[in-house]
Amino acid sequence: MSKSGHRAFSAGRIAAIGGNTFTELSRLKVFYVLLLFALLLIGNSIFMAQFTFQQEFQVLKDIALGSMSLLTSVLAVVATARLIPQDIEDRTIYTILAKPVTRFEYLLGKLAGVLLLLALSVIIMSALFFIVLKVREQTVLGETLRQMHASSPEQRAEALGAVRASAFQANLVPGIAIIYVKACLLAALTLFVSTFATTTIFTTVVMVFVYFIGHLQSTARAYWLQTNGAGGITKVFLALVALFFPDLQLFNLLDDIVAGTAIPLALFAQTATLGFFYTGFYLLLAWAVFYRKEL
Amino acid sequence: MNEPAVAVTGVTKAFPIPFQRRSLLAVRDLTLQVPPGQIYGLLGPNGSGKSTTLKIILGLVFPTRGKTEIFGQDSNLAGSREAVGFLPENPYFYKYLTGRETLRFYGKLCGLRGARLKNRVEELLDRVGLTSASDRRLGVYSKGMLQRIGLAQALVQEPKLVVLDEPTAGVDPAGAREIRDLILDLKHRGITVLLSSHLLGQVQEICDRVGILANGVLVREGALADLLAIENRTDLVFENASAALLREIEALAGKSGARLVEQSRSRTSLERFFLEATHSSAESRRDE
Repeated sequence: MSKSGHRAFSAGRIAAIGGNTFTELSRLKVFYVLLLFALLLIGNSIFMAQFTFQQEFQVLKDIALGSMSLLTSVLAVVATARLIPQDIEDRTIYTILAKPVTRFEYLLGKLAGVLLLLALSVIIMSALFFIVLKVREQTVLGETLRQMHASSPEQRAEALGAVRASAFQANLVPGIAIIYVKACLLAALTLFVSTFATTTIFTTVVMVFVYFIGHLQSTARAYWLQTNGAGGITKVFLALVALFFPDLQLFNLLDDIVAGTAIPLALFAQTATLGFFYTGFYLLLAWAVFYRKEL
Repeated sequence: MNEPAVAVTGVTKAFPIPFQRRSLLAVRDLTLQVPPGQIYGLLGPNGSGKSTTLKIILGLVFPTRGKTEIFGQDSNLAGSREAVGFLPENPYFYKYLTGRETLRFYGKLCGLRGARLKNRVEELLDRVGLTSASDRRLGVYSKGMLQRIGLAQALVQEPKLVVLDEPTAGVDPAGAREIRDLILDLKHRGITVLLSSHLLGQVQEICDRVGILANGVLVREGALADLLAIENRTDLVFENASAALLREIEALAGKSGARLVEQSRSRTSLERFFLEATHSSAESRRDE
């Protein structure tokens, strides 16, 4: 605490900036992304009649989780990229930082607003997905019952059990949580880039590169290690690359989920911890750049 | 001893020019003090370093050399801004917020909550005359209304120092008059005001002290009355003086060795003339 009794870290100030950022993004109509997601799900359902129910549920999950992952990533980058440059351009940042607000609180508040928006988006998309999944499950159950009206009760129960087992699976929940963690990481990285970028477009383009490098780097690393061996310098170099270009493939658990494989708790915890570590690390990097930035 | 509201000591600010070895000196070895309870005007042409000086005082830009303090506290510390309200030049606030939401947001940043925040917001809306427009989004506010909501946000935590960068820039004369009255009201409440401007007439009307910057150097500084007084001249203003009386005074002055330099009819200012004309026109429209 300083001479004036000022606290260097105030949850109230961060909540005020976070709440305002959330309001700003909501009023920019970023939730249209959710509409796109809903259209994808509905459109997908129309073409499913030709599949077996196992294929149908698998395709539905594949499309829903894949588009959820892509849309939250896009939302994280697009929503975050404009926040700081816009505040600087409009000079609203002067009025905020001329209040007893530290620069770390400002950055954390901005990030908190985006994370709140992402959380709400993921919850809404999940709810839409589960509703569509449930509706399809009920339809398939009805059809199965109709087709098997002459079968024995045991056979019917077995068939209905098979339908239920391939519809909703518990591993969907940790899979969706990891999608959110990945979006948090991307938002924090975008915030870091936007502290030194001069335009929103530059930040977005950099993030598109990071996104692709992040998804390809595990393959590139495997190839590198195979051809060059794993010497000390190579390991340090790869670790540095991994620090600035996170291995986004690690956050891709969708294939396992869609295939119905259970995600071990240890893997989930490890992936989530890694994601939050990256998020915190990028926030600190953003602060390091922003701390002495001339406004 | 009264602690100065603002103390700037030996401040130099150099901005590096990209791809060149030299840098641009925006402020050079600036030292000044703003006494508490006064209105201090920082004057100078465009590019003279006024805004940079204000930004350094607020910790938005960092000095290359020297230091700045607000009520004795290093102005780079966020805590020093507990006592400060700031209105930047041509401010844009969040357009999607209403006037009331804007003040609530800035109030929360200053630690105000609950009934205290609510009462303060209503009081300020009333003081700047925006109560009736408080539920409109700032996107539809006029320039003058934006300046007034900006002034209100600067005052939200009842600061001891208010810093205003070109507070009447781009505002029409009636709006400028309102802002000037609000600034004078601040002084009466014991609040120190530091403002930058290049509108000399307005500064002369309200400032106690001024500092004049040119090319980043403080070329003149002091109490306005001292700076503008002409040592060997005296003004007398009469009402209903006849021509004979004036001739008599002139003769009397000549006898004592004084010389009448200028004699003219007193005139109103163009600003006052404009305000009276627009006010009476508005009144007659209302009567119709």
